[in-house]
Order: sequence, then C-alpha cells, then structure tokens
Amino acid sequence: MKPLRSSADVSALPSVTFGPRSLMWWGTLGFMTIEGWTTALLVGSYLYLRQNYHGWPPLRTPNPSLLIPSINLALMLVSIVPAWMVARAGKRLDEAAVKKWLVISSIVSVPTLVLRWYELWALNTRWDTTAYGSAAWTIVGFHTSLLLLDICDTIGLAIFFHAKKLPIKACSDAADNSFYWYFTVGIWVPIYLIVYVGPRIF
Amino acid sequence: MSNLPVAQLLVEADVAREAAALDATWRDKSGVWGWLCAVEQKTIARRYIITTFLMFLAGGMEAALMRLQLARPENALIGPDRYNQLFTVHGTTMMFLFAVPMMQAMGLYLVPLMVGARSIAFPRLNAFGYWNYVVGVVFLYVSLFINMGPDTGWTAYVPLSGPAYSPGHRVDVWAQVVTFTEISALCGAVNLIVTVFKMRAPGMSLNRIPVFVWAQLVVAFMIVFAMPAVATGSTLMLALDRAVNTHWFNPAEGGDALLWQHIFWFFGHPEVYIIFLPAIGMITPIVETFCRRAVFGYTAMVMANITTAFFAFGLWVHHMFATPIPELGQSLFTAASMVIAVPTGIQIFCWIATLWGGRPRLTVPMLFVLGFLFTFINGGITGVMLASVAFDKEAHDTFFVVAHLHYVLIGGGLMPLFGAFYFWFPKLTGRLLNTALGKLHFWLFVIGTNVTFFPMHILGLNGMPRRIYTYAETTGWGTLNMLATVGALTIALSVLVFLINAVRSWFSGEHAGDNPWDAAGLEWATTSPPPSYNFVHTPVVRSRHPLWETTVEQPVVTGLRSDRREILLTTTFDAQPDSRHVGPDGSIWPLYVALCMGLLFIGSIFSPYSVLAGIGISLIGLFFWGWQSTQDVEVERVALPDGRMVDRL
Ligand code: HEM
Ligand SMILES: [Cu+2]
Repeated sequence: MKPLRSSADVSALPSVTFGPRSLMWWGTLGFMTIEGWTTALLVGSYLYLRQNYHGWPPLRTPNPSLLIPSINLALMLVSIVPAWMVARAGKRLDEAAVKKWLVISSIVSVPTLVLRWYELWALNTRWDTTAYGSAAWTIVGFHTSLLLLDICDTIGLAIFFHAKKLPIKACSDAADNSFYWYFTVGIWVPIYLIVYVGPRIF
Repeated sequence: MSNLPVAQLLVEADVAREAAALDATWRDKSGVWGWLCAVEQKTIARRYIITTFLMFLAGGMEAALMRLQLARPENALIGPDRYNQLFTVHGTTMMFLFAVPMMQAMGLYLVPLMVGARSIAFPRLNAFGYWNYVVGVVFLYVSLFINMGPDTGWTAYVPLSGPAYSPGHRVDVWAQVVTFTEISALCGAVNLIVTVFKMRAPGMSLNRIPVFVWAQLVVAFMIVFAMPAVATGSTLMLALDRAVNTHWFNPAEGGDALLWQHIFWFFGHPEVYIIFLPAIGMITPIVETFCRRAVFGYTAMVMANITTAFFAFGLWVHHMFATPIPELGQSLFTAASMVIAVPTGIQIFCWIATLWGGRPRLTVPMLFVLGFLFTFINGGITGVMLASVAFDKEAHDTFFVVAHLHYVLIGGGLMPLFGAFYFWFPKLTGRLLNTALGKLHFWLFVIGTNVTFFPMHILGLNGMPRRIYTYAETTGWGTLNMLATVGALTIALSVLVFLINAVRSWFSGEHAGDNPWDAAGLEWATTSPPPSYNFVHTPVVRSRHPLWETTVEQPVVTGLRSDRREILLTTTFDAQPDSRHVGPDGSIWPLYVALCMGLLFIGSIFSPYSVLAGIGISLIGLFFWGWQSTQDVEVERVALPDGRMVDRL
C-alpha cells in the first residue's frame, strides 16, 4: 500500500441532511418508483383487458359507485395537509410540532383505510365474477397494501417520537415519511379516475 | 485523527490505531446470534455468492439428470412427470436463483469497494433481501423433494399453469418462489443505485466510474423496471387466479392468456440483459489489467450499456412470434431485435481494439474472456437468426432454441463469471486460485459446452421439440443426443475441477497480497480480503485508473469518526464530499421480517387468511426494525434545507 496523504478533512460536514442529500430520501424514491411502476403495469393490463369486451363494465355489471370513493379521495387529499406540516416542522427541527402533526396525520389517515373497505365494495362487482372485476379489485387492493404500509409507518413514527428522545435525524425521516405519503395519495388520483370514473366514459 | 491539518502525510502507527478502532466499530458480532444479525456488506455478499453458486450446482445436477435421460431413445431413467419438474426447476433455478442473484451478488461485494465506500447504502435492507432469497431457495427445493416441484416450464405459460390445467400446488410454488427472488433483486437494485449515486469516493465523477460499476448501475435500473412486471404477473395475477378465482387469464370471463406472455416477456427479455450486462462489465477490468492499458472507447462502452438497456425493453414480442400479433408489430420487433446487436458489437470491438495494441497476458481470467468471445458470438448469431419471424416459426419450441439460449447464457454469462472468479477470488479470500487447475477447468468447460450444445442446433432443425422426456428410436436423434450428454458430463467434470480448486485455494492457496494483478481499480487499494470497514481512510480519485497513477502517495480524506459507523456521502455528479451518514448496526429484524414474508407468501397458497396473519407479524417486525435502527442521541451537525447549518442534540 502506498503511504496515505490526507488531502481533505471532512469532520465539519453535516451528519444530518434533508431530501436528496440524504440516503433515506433516495431509498424512498426507489421504492416509490417500483410501486408506481407496478401500479402502471396493473392499470395497463386493466386497459388491455378492456379490448376483450364490448361494454365496460361488461354485461350487466353496474358502474362503480362514486359516493364513497369521492369522499375518500377528498379525505386523502386533505390528509396531505398534516403530512405537509410534519415535513415542515421536521425541516425546522421543531420536534414538538413534528410530534403534534404526526398524531394528527395518523388520526386523519386511519379513516381512509376504513373507507377503503367500503370503497372495494363500491366497485359493485366481485373479483371472481369477470376479468373486469378481477382487474379492478387487484388494482385497488394493491394500492390498499401501500396505504396500509404507509399509515403504519406514520403511526410507528408517532409512537417513536412520543416514546423517547430520538436522534435529531428522525426529523429528516419524518419529512421522508411525508414524501412517501404524497406519493401514496398522488398515485391514487389516476387510479380513482380510471377505475371508478373511467367505466362511465370508456 | 479528526483534527489533522489538511495535506498531511499520515503516520503508519496512527493509521494502524485508526484501523483497530474502525474494526471494533464495524465488525459484526460473533457467535450464532451475531451470525444471524450480520449486516456487514461483504459478509452478506459472500453469503449470496456462496448460496447462488450452490444453486448453480443444483441446477447443474438437474441438467445432468435430464441429459442422462435423453442420452438414448426411449430411455426409462426418468418418467415424464419428473422430467417436467426437472426442466422447470432447472430453468427456474438457473435464471431466478443463480444467474440474476449471482451477478447482483458480485455487485454487492465489489461495487462498494470499487467506489471506495465503507459499506453499502442500506445494509439491513441488504440482509433482508438475502434472507428473502434464502426462503425462496428452501421453498423451491423442499417442494421438489416432496414431489411438489413446479412443472410448467420456467415461463409458466397460461392456460397450462392456470387453475384448470394445473391443479394442486406445483405452480403456486413457482409463483411464490418468483416473488421472493424479485423482492430480493429489488432490494439489491435500490441498494446499488443509491450506493453508486451517493457514496462514491471524492473525485469519482460520472466519467470516472469504472465500467463494471456502470454496468451494475444500468442493470439495477433495469431490475427496477423489469422485476415488477414478473412479480405483478406471478403474484398479483397468476397466484390470485389460482387461489381466489380471479380471471386475469381466463378467456371464458374476458381474461386473456396472451396478457401473461406480454407481462412475462416484458420482464423476460430484459432479464437476459440483466445477466449479460454485468457479465460483460466484468470483462473490461480483466482486459484492461492483463493488457495493462485503459480500455479503448470508455464513453462508447458506457453509452452502449445504456442503449442496450433501453432497447432491451422494446424486444419482448420476439418471444411471441408464434402468437397472433399484427404483422407490422412483428416487423418492428424483428428490426429492434437486430438493432440491439449493434451496441453489443460496439463493446466487442472496443475489447478487440484494446487487445490488439496491447500484449495480453494469457492468464486464466483472460482465457475465459476469449472463451466468452468465441461462445457468445455463436449464440448471438443464432439470436439474429431467430429474430426473423419466418425462421422463428420453424425453430420455435425446438432444441434449436435450447442451443441458442445456452450459448448466450453460458457464453455471455457464465464464461465472464468464471473469469471474474479467478480475477477477484483474491479479493474474496486473500488467496489466488491455482492456475494449472484453472486452465484444465477452462478447456474442459469450453469443449464441454460446445459438445453439449452445438449438436442441439442440428437436433432442433431436425425437428426435436424441447421439453420432451424421450423420443422414438426411428427419429434418428439418438447419436447427437448421446454426444450432447457426453458434453454435459464434461461440463460437470470441469465444474468439479473448479470446485476442488476453489476449496483447496481457499484454505491453502498462494497468498495474494493487496493487488496481485497490478490492477487499477480501487478495490485493489485495500487488503485482500478487505477489512470490515473496507478502507481505513476514504481514497480520493483523480482519474479513471486510480492505482495506475504514478504518484508515490495515495490521497485520502480524513475526519470520519471511527467510534460509530460513519460513511462519507458525496454529490451525485461530481462526487464532492457532501455529508456524513451513520450506518446501522446489526439486527435480527431483517431475518425475522423475511421469515414472516415467507409465511405470508407460502401460506397464501394454502389459505388466503395467512396473508392477514403474515402482514400482522411482519408489521410487528418492521416496528422493531425501526425502533432499533435509531442511533445514539448526540449533538449532530444539521444541514437545514434552507442552507443554514446548526448543531443540535
Ligand atoms: C451447465 C450446463 C447446462 C446444461 C447441461 C443444461 C441443460 C439443459 C437441458 C437439458 C434443458 C432442457 C431442455 C428441454 O428438455 O427442453 C435445459 C433447459 C434450460 N436451461 Fe439449461 N443447462 C445448463 C446450464 C444452464 C444455465 C447456466 C442456464 C441459465 C443461466 C440455463 C437455463 C436454462 C433454461 C432457461 C432452460 C429452459 C427451461 C424450460 O424449458 O422451462 N441452463 N438446460
Ligand atoms: Cu428476448
């Protein structure tokens, strides 16, 4: 080995960063890409199956109901606000505010999961009736798993923050959790339009 | 150490003290528990490499059994039912459990070393991916031994693999094994991408990234877009059709059997390049080292990698020429399939140009490179032949295709891989593989491969279908089949020679030293095998071939703490030092969650309710995973998003 010469000292560099400067943000982005792409493949397959039918929904299948899905969509969009407040507090290292908004965030997001159950039935068909039903159920079901995971993540973080003094890096993690929530809600909008509104149009 | 004035020569005693401190911080705990909790980057990668190699041996044994059965007409060694399981498990093992994870494992071991990083971006995720993979391996082989091995081919085409024609659980096993391997491949891919983006040594700007690392990066992106397709097809469609009566692939209810082929090959074609690109990425450093010169056309090489990746996603329909696809579409995919030969051709010419002017040393790794060129070009030519629709309709589902795919996979995947084993074995073990045995291995392997697979071209043109367990005497296929079997046994012998060599050398081979080949990459700047923390001080890079610079000293950065797992993060484009990241300690939770996921997916075959149970216990594991990953509370220097820097507890 050659003798080593120090050409720079990095001890003054920050040890907590936010957004694209931190590893966690990139990891989150990576999994968002995977999940988003999986959703896209499912939606693509749904539209592919559309070609096999004359009508959509097929035969005597009624259209999906819009009431509960629309309520839930509104609720999800509203839930972005506390998530955004968590991120804002995190980026200011305001741990008290992070704690508060994480709790509010959890409280607002849990009902979306409850409504999701009714939302599945609002498809007005079963997964085992037609391929149309299978595709719609699978798409909404897959998104439900993302929703569940993200909500548990939020609740978990809320518990951690209240249970003990966390390293200050947790503020950055809380911001990334919000980032993931925007994605989960954001990707629901096209699903809502295609799966619930779509059959009325195409 | 952290208060050193800049540009100071480091005293050897200080370096040694620093190394001891780092080792105490980074080393995995010992004992069984420590073994289960291990997250050290090289430990996990080494386990991956060994497990995937065992899978190669398993797949090879299945191949040998098949070849023994086919050696003579109307042979009665293996019946049709077993044979179906054998070719399916062989194909599934070789593609999902050997080739892809092996290539990734080499990346997981080498990439952090090549970019000068202390570890990998997400060590626990890495361990989780590995354990998931192990669950898949165990599940497939237990199933095979209890006569529940999948039997509808590694492609699992519907309707054959659907609930109507494949009752029982064999296909379910296939669908879930695929799920496990895709999860682990995705974990590895995200890990590699983030490692390359954020953890490169200072000065390693994009245009100085080693070609092998580029290949791994490009492939990681391919995995991110290819693997979700097969996971969607197998887990969210096929498994659901089989378990809860969805109708994705059931034409009677508006489903579509061709949808499976689209989804599968949208993954399946890129899969080939996911195996091939890292393999040829291994060739460049070997050629460079043994010609002692920089590879010709670095930029062209990198661009060829990226172009291949893009094209690879536009070719899948060439696997479906025998289905009713519109003619215009067919022509388009034929054209694309021929065009993709261009970037590969460019790379081959770049190596030839490098070899041309240099005076190559014919070491064992180099021999395998030459073996690759010879074998792979043969497979590439039959590939271009098959891209023509008219010819494909003749050759489809015959042994011609079996010949083609093995020429490509063995020539383009296995030969470079073996070369890489000889080349990097010292970095894994500290010792060199024996050269004489290596040459024997090489010659037996090249001869065996050609004797096995060349006759299959002719058999295919003579009409022998693939996936049949026997054939009649009157077909006249006996002689060539016997020849192929002799070839297969020669391959088996060559692999045995390699095994003996590897085991012997591991324990008593010649000591290699840090850089036995006088190679240029950063992985050779540390000891063989490298310590738990990879580098005492993060090296600074000033060119594409850091170790070939003629400076007397190695520039490094100092100031990372040695009493916790600090890693230097750099900017994505220019690799300027940006921040210090603290990596996690070992943990049992990745293993626990992987086992829960195992329960979830395997249980789903038998009862949909086990999914709920699996999710529940996985979430508990994730909770503790998160709980345990919080580092100690200390004053940290925080870079706020608005640009301010504050010190905060
Ligand atoms: C090492 C020597 C090998 C031998 C002797 C061998 C032999 C065979 C044989 C006899 C078949 C079945 C042909 C049939 O009945 O249709 C087969 C299929 C296959 N092999 Fe190999 N193989 C070898 C290595 C590999 C490797 C390294 C890979 C991939 C990396 C691979 C991938 C496949 C695939 C994908 C199939 C198709 C399975 C299917 O039909 O579903 N093989 N091989
Ligand atoms: Cu292909």
